[in-house]
Formats: sequence, C-alpha cells, structure tokens
Amino acid sequence: MMKGGFEVVHATLDMIQPHREPIWDFASFGFPTTSVAAAAVSSIPRQSLENRCINLERNELSDWVEQVTKKLIDDLPAQNTDTDDHHSSTLQAPADIPMVCEDSFPPSLLADFRPRKTVTSSDFDELQWSNVNGGNDRGLSRLDEQGLSLITLLLECAVAISIDNLGEAHRMLLELTQMASPYALSCAERVVAYFAKAMSSRVINSWLGICSPLINYKTVHCAFQAFNNVSPFIKFAHFTSNQAILEAFHRRDRVHIIDLDIMQGLQWPALFHILATRMEGPPHVTMTGMGSSMELLTETGKQLSNFAKRLGMSFEFHPIAKKFGEIDITMVRLRRGETLAIHWLQHSLYDATGPDWKTMRLMEQLGPRIITLVEQDLSHGGSFLDRFVGSLHYYSTLFDSLGAYLAADDPNRHRIEHCLLFREINNILAIGGPARSGEDKMKQWRSELAARNSFVQVPMSSNSMAQAQLILNMFPPAHGYRLVQGDGTLRLGWKDSSLFTASAWTSHVSR
Amino acid sequence: MKLSSAKISKESKGASPSHGGHHKNSFHSKRQSHHSILPLQPVDQLEQWSSVAVDMYNNSSSSNNNNNHHHQPQTSHTSTSRSSDYSAGGDGEPSAVGNKWASRLLKECARAISDKDSSKIHHLLWMLNELASPYGDCDQKLASYFLQALFCKATESGQRCFKTLTLVAEKSHCFDSARKLILKFQEVSPWTTFGHVAANGAILEALDGEPKLHIIDISNTLCTQWPTLLEALATRNDDTPHLKLTVVVTANIVRSVMKEISQRMEKFARLMGVPFEFNVVSGLNHLGQLTKEVLGVVEDEAVAVNCMGALRRVPVEGRAAVIGMFRSLGPKVVTVVEEEADFTSTRYDFVKCFEECLRFYTVYFEMLEESFTPTSNEKLMLERECSRGIVRVLACDDDQDSEGERERRERGSQWSERLKEAFSSVGFSNDVVDDVKALLKRYKPGWALAQPYQNETGLYLTWKEEPVVWVSAWKP
Repeated sequence: MMKGGFEVVHATLDMIQPHREPIWDFASFGFPTTSVAAAAVSSIPRQSLENRCINLERNELSDWVEQVTKKLIDDLPAQNTDTDDHHSSTLQAPADIPMVCEDSFPPSLLADFRPRKTVTSSDFDELQWSNVNGGNDRGLSRLDEQGLSLITLLLECAVAISIDNLGEAHRMLLELTQMASPYALSCAERVVAYFAKAMSSRVINSWLGICSPLINYKTVHCAFQAFNNVSPFIKFAHFTSNQAILEAFHRRDRVHIIDLDIMQGLQWPALFHILATRMEGPPHVTMTGMGSSMELLTETGKQLSNFAKRLGMSFEFHPIAKKFGEIDITMVRLRRGETLAIHWLQHSLYDATGPDWKTMRLMEQLGPRIITLVEQDLSHGGSFLDRFVGSLHYYSTLFDSLGAYLAADDPNRHRIEHCLLFREINNILAIGGPARSGEDKMKQWRSELAARNSFVQVPMSSNSMAQAQLILNMFPPAHGYRLVQGDGTLRLGWKDSSLFTASAWTSHVSR
Repeated sequence: MKLSSAKISKESKGASPSHGGHHKNSFHSKRQSHHSILPLQPVDQLEQWSSVAVDMYNNSSSSNNNNNHHHQPQTSHTSTSRSSDYSAGGDGEPSAVGNKWASRLLKECARAISDKDSSKIHHLLWMLNELASPYGDCDQKLASYFLQALFCKATESGQRCFKTLTLVAEKSHCFDSARKLILKFQEVSPWTTFGHVAANGAILEALDGEPKLHIIDISNTLCTQWPTLLEALATRNDDTPHLKLTVVVTANIVRSVMKEISQRMEKFARLMGVPFEFNVVSGLNHLGQLTKEVLGVVEDEAVAVNCMGALRRVPVEGRAAVIGMFRSLGPKVVTVVEEEADFTSTRYDFVKCFEECLRFYTVYFEMLEESFTPTSNEKLMLERECSRGIVRVLACDDDQDSEGERERRERGSQWSERLKEAFSSVGFSNDVVDDVKALLKRYKPGWALAQPYQNETGLYLTWKEEPVVWVSAWKP
C-alpha cells in the first residue's frame, strides 16, 4: 500500500512541477530527515545550480530599495502617524527569536515592514548553499543609473499621491510609465513599471471616486499555479500547514477542514494522501471550500472528490460561494464529533474573507482544533505611503527571487509578474487597500490571534520544518531562499527578507 | 487644472466608508462636481445600468466559458467591497473571435462622452481602468491606451498629456535605440518595408538614365529606405549617377539623430561608389514652408519626392497647398506612402473618429502581437508611440496645435483625390510588383499585396485581408 501511495504522491507532484526527485514520501516523516535531505541535495545536478548564480549578483534590488526608502522617509514632511505597532510586542519570545535588523527606519512609519535579518537556527544550515549575498554596499554599486532615477521618480510620485497632489502625480506617472519596461533585464525597472501603472490606476480611481475591483478569477488562478511551479512559497504554505493539520488530526476519525479561499485546491491532495495511508486508517473528511464563484468551487470539489475516491477515503465537499466574514455559523455544516481545522493562505489578490472582526468572531465561535495561517509579511493596513513603502520592498524582493531563476524574456515569468504580482500591487496601492472597503483591516493576524484569550499558539513542529526544508531543496537557487524557525512560526523569505510566515493556533474550546 | 481640483474622498483610516460602504453606495462619489463635461447624476440609474454593463461584459467572453460566470453581486460578495467577477479570456487564453470586450466598452464610453452621460462615463471609465493593462493581451492594451485618451478627453487634459508624452519620448530617444527599433520592426513586419520597396522601384524607373538625381525624403524612417536604392544605383551597368539626398525631418524626435545618420549614409555611399550629397532640412513648422531654395533644388536635377507618412502630419486645410508646392518643384516622380485609416473626414464627429481610430489601432496592435515575441521591448515602444498618436487625435483640439504633430490620416482613395489635382498617377510596373511580392514572402503568413480596382491608384499592403498601408506614385 505504501508503494501505491507513493505513486499517487508522485503523480500529484507531477502535475505541479516537472523536475523532482523521488526523495521522500509523506509517510516517512518519522525517518531521520537529515539523511533524506542529504540525499536530496546531492541529487540535484550541480550544473544547473551554477547557472542560476548568474543573475543573482545583478539583483540586489531589495537592499538598495531599503536604503533609498530610508532616505526618502527621512526627508518626508511629517505625515501619516497613525500606524500602530502594538502587535510586535505581543509576540512570544522563545530562546531562538529572530534578531531584528538594526537599521534605522523611523518606527512610526515602518514598524512592521522592517526586513528582519534572521539567524538561521536550524541544523539544516550546512545543507544550504553558501551565502552569495555580500551585503548592502554591493547592491548600490551594481544598480545602474537608469534604475536609480526610475525608483527616485517613483518615490516622488508616491509622496505626491500621499499628499493628494494628483495633478503632479499624474504628470510624473505619465513620464514613468513611458520610461520603465516590465520586460527589462533589471528587476528594478520591472518593479517600477508595475508600481507606476498601479499608481496611475489609483489616480484615475481617485478622480472617478470609485474604487471597487473587477477580478478575473480564472486568470488569477492560472497565474497562481504558474507561480507555484517556479517558486517555493506556495508549496511552503501548503506543506507546513498540512503537517500541522495532520498532527492535529492525530487519532481523529471524523475531520472537517474549512479552506477560506480554496481556489483550485492544490494543497489538499498531498494531505489526503497522508490521511488515507496513516496507521490508524483514513478518517472521514469533510471539506468546506470557500471562494468567489460557485462554478469554480464545484469544479474544485469534483477534482478533490475524485482524488479522494481513488485513495479510498470517505470524503464530502461543501462549497460556499461567499466570504468567511460574511456568513454565519449556521452555514457551516459542522457536525458533532468532527475535528475542525481552518486553513487560511493570505494573499493580496482580492479580499477573500470580508470584514476582519467578523472573520475573527466566526473563528472563535467555531472553536477549531487547529487554525493554520500563512501570512504575507506585508501589511495591508495603514496609509497609502505606508503600504507603498512596505510593498515596494516586499515585491522588489519577490521580483528578485524570480529574476534569479528565470530569464528576462520568459513568458511564464511575465505571466506571474503581470497576472499575479502586479494584481497584488495594484490592490495594495488602491484606495482603501486590497479590501477597498474603507473598513479597518487587522495589521497582522497572528498578533491578533495571540492577543485573544480564545486562541493559543501551536508551535510549528520540527516535522513541519523538515517539510519546509525538503521543499526548498526542490528549488534551484536554494541559497537565495532563507528558512527560519522562531516564535513558534516558520518563515520563508528571500535573502534577508521574510516573505511568508506560517503559524498555527488552537482554540481553547476546541473539540 | 482638472485633476487637482477633483475632490476625492480621502484614504480612509476608519473613516466612513464612502467607497463600497454598502451595496447601493459603491459608486457614489463624494467628489464635488466641477466644471468638466461630467455633471453627476442620480445613483439609482447608475446601479441599474451597471448590472447591464456587467452582463454585457460577461457575455462578451470567449467560447471557452459558458455564461455561468455571470456574476450576481447581490448574492455573493456584498456589503463590503463590491467586487465583480468577469470572464473575458484574460492572459494565457487564446482570444476567440467573440472576445472583444475592450472594443465594446471603449465604444460605449466614447458614445457616453459624446452624449455627456456622466454616470455612464464614470462607470465605463472605472471598468476600463480595472481591466486595462499595457502589459497584458491585446484587449487589455487597447483598453489601456484608449482609456488614457478618454480620460484626457474627460478631464480636458489632452494637450498637456500629449506634450508630456512627447517630451519623455524625446528625452529617452537616441540613435541606437531608434535604429534598433526600426530595424527590428522591419525584420518582423513589412509594414514599412512594403512602402520602401514599392517607392524605390517607382523612383528608379522614373529616374532611369538621369545623371543627377535629387531625392527629397520627407519621412521619419531614419533613411532605412535608401541603402537598397543606393545599391541598385551602384550596380546598374551604365554610369552611376550622382545622388543628392535631402531629408526633411518633421518630428523633433528624429532631428537629434540625423547627424549620426548622415555620417552613416555618407560612409555607405562611399562604399557603394555612388557620388553622394546629404542634406537635412529641419526646424520647419509645417511642410508648406518648403520651397525650392530651402530644399536646394537646382535646374539640372531630376527630382523625386518621397513622402512617407508625412502628408498626414500636414494640417488638413494645408494639404492642397503642400501638394501644390511639390508640383512647383518639378519632380519626375512623387511617391506617397500612408496608412489606411480615415481620421480626417470624421474629425468633427467624435464617436465616428473614435471608432475608426479603434479599428485601425486594433489591427495594428494585433499585427504587432503576432509579429513580435510576447515580451519584446521593441513592441512595447511601438505601442507607446501609438499612445501618443491616440491621445493626439482623440483628446486634443486641432486648433490647439502649434507643433505640427497632428496625424489626421486619410485613406488612399482620399489622398488620391487630392493628388489628382496636381498630378496623374503612375502605375507600378510588373517588376516592382514582383519585388514587393518577393518581399512579403520573407515574412510570416498573413501579409498580402492588393491591387486596386479600376479607378483607384497605388498598391495596398493587407494584413489578414484588411488593407493597412497604401503606396502610390505620381507624375506631373
């Protein structure tokens, strides 16, 4: 049965990533991971890895952005003092807490956007490739003048918008959007092209007085899948969450998973496989999938049902074409005796969950045994300028990570940058941020969960860390990605910047 | 200044949600009405109309999607942000024939502007703004560039916008990039080379046997037309004639690179062994200022006037005079190449002009899409050039213009009417036609040569059976 299960896993991964080594199967999480990981490392062809190094040196963009934005903020007129950073003090502080970067961003503006220099505390360090990054000063000298002037102009535009000088902003944006190309070799220029366009859209929306988004979910999902193929972040989110859920479901016969934004359900086949092949036998699984369109949900449900059937696992799917923060508890078909997991992979593509306070309240009411949360290390709240600076750093980093691996004219890279990342940038810079609703959004969910009496953090286990590490080894420029364990969370980032944080929580009143 | 006077609801920090607070108010603007052409209208009408618009939008999707994507805002995502689902092809999916959402939305918007239907204008501009992108598929690109023009029109900022765009282009223009761009375009598409080959053929035939040639080149093609002609002159078995080439530059952008070009041309002519003289005439406000003296036309020369995309830059009222001026130069042949679109007879009817503009640029953008790779920077630059033209034609008043960069195109038949006043048409010989056909074979399929009907003159280049470029030859 093990072998059959292995093949199924293989097939699942097949549809996601062309290159993979059959180095592990999920049922082996009890095996000593070091040796497995070592085997993984040696089997990746060295040649392709060396090729990947070529682009790295050119893309020290995020370091440079940090420097320039620092200067800009220093020069700003006194503005935007409404950001609050109370959340950073509520985090637990175990022994291996990540070191906070010692740079000097004014805390009033950028508290939660500071890139955190982290110390990798895991013992997989030796298996990581040697650190190519030489530090900040290299970055500045390598960026060309063109990139420099573009980013400077971009920052000026942002300031103009933040003080409502739309006429001036519009004029500068006309210039910028003609000068920067999204197909450029330089990541800086690509980032500027998209940020400039996003701000142009915003200026028009300001003038129109309308800010609701129009979304093509199919295109977005397509791009999401493409991103999943070339970048480890999504898989990181999936597999670490799956591991936490798996552990929460230990010895439980009837389980229920609510996925707050299921999209195409890419995450679940891997978990189903493990559940179906576990020692105590498969549980009965109910899944509530939430999303935007009933048609897309039904399709996803069908796929998952078929997969579960092939595994011989009893499975039910309930689609809800609504936002989690807009339903009440009666809509969730949770039965007595079911162990509940709520999963949320946050993104900035659109507002997936609705009002935050209602989302929180419903979570409390449901009392899940586990909540798996994966957050972007990026705040959606705050003033325009806050979001601008934070997202400029964040997406520069992401663009860097793509640029290190993909050619400048790669159409897949373009699709990811245009249909996915640009969409997020657009949303974040739009009036009212991604939710576009004018309501207050929570800055950082794990702080909010920590602050409430109803929830307790469940530290990510070493098995989750192992999963994450194995994923990293699948992606060629592994030495650019940085994985850190600390605060009970797992964080995956590029170079010195953390991009995604996975955490898990349990409810006091959970079944 | 319209933009800065628009009062917008501030970035909300817990302020009352004026944007999408609840369903009914999502399109309600707190903007003070200002004196553009868009007075505010009651919200209810807008609501009603907007679901019609969303329907229309959703139903224009490709055959891939059945219409179950039709999204009812009331049942799903309500009350906070009114996000609507739409199901056009989007990136990565082949755009089927029915997938022309951009065209429909743009035309509706143009009509709304013409009708001064404020709420409709707002709604459509909003939709276009959300859906457009200059880096997406054809529909998204067209939406983006035409949205810019419509927005300028609505905010009466067309002239300013055009000036800014032109300035930026001039700043970043340099010989290398310009040359690279033109050469790449010529490599992947016969859009310009078609006219070159046909015109050269006509010129060579008309000037055959003449010892002193003077070609007056009124174009912005950076002399890419002339190397093949020089080569032809050099390889003829009789004596190589003396060639004087006078380039008349109309666009500021081109002026700065002419020095480099003149050096290269002189060098090339030396290599070919053709006695050669090169002059540049620039700084004209409009072509009508040209005279024999300015051009350096002397008695014993055989003159050819080569007009490549230049006549459309002449103000409509001045075109007859310019043609007359050509006549006064006593040329042996005049070759005219223009793009097949009519922005002239429609210039007093905004909607008609808009639709014609959209039609033409749709063909052009689709042609670019199929000729270049998806992530080509050259394609992007050509598209951006179009954006200036689009703003100029649609959002600027004719009388505002002082620079002479108008581009009121006319169709071949219209130009013919004008040229017939001073010239009679010359047909293209079989040799020339063969040359053109051979040229087209070097490109991707889709291109063809069309010879006109009885009364019409010249040759047409067609792209997917749509005539796009017209070339003609004339003699006094």
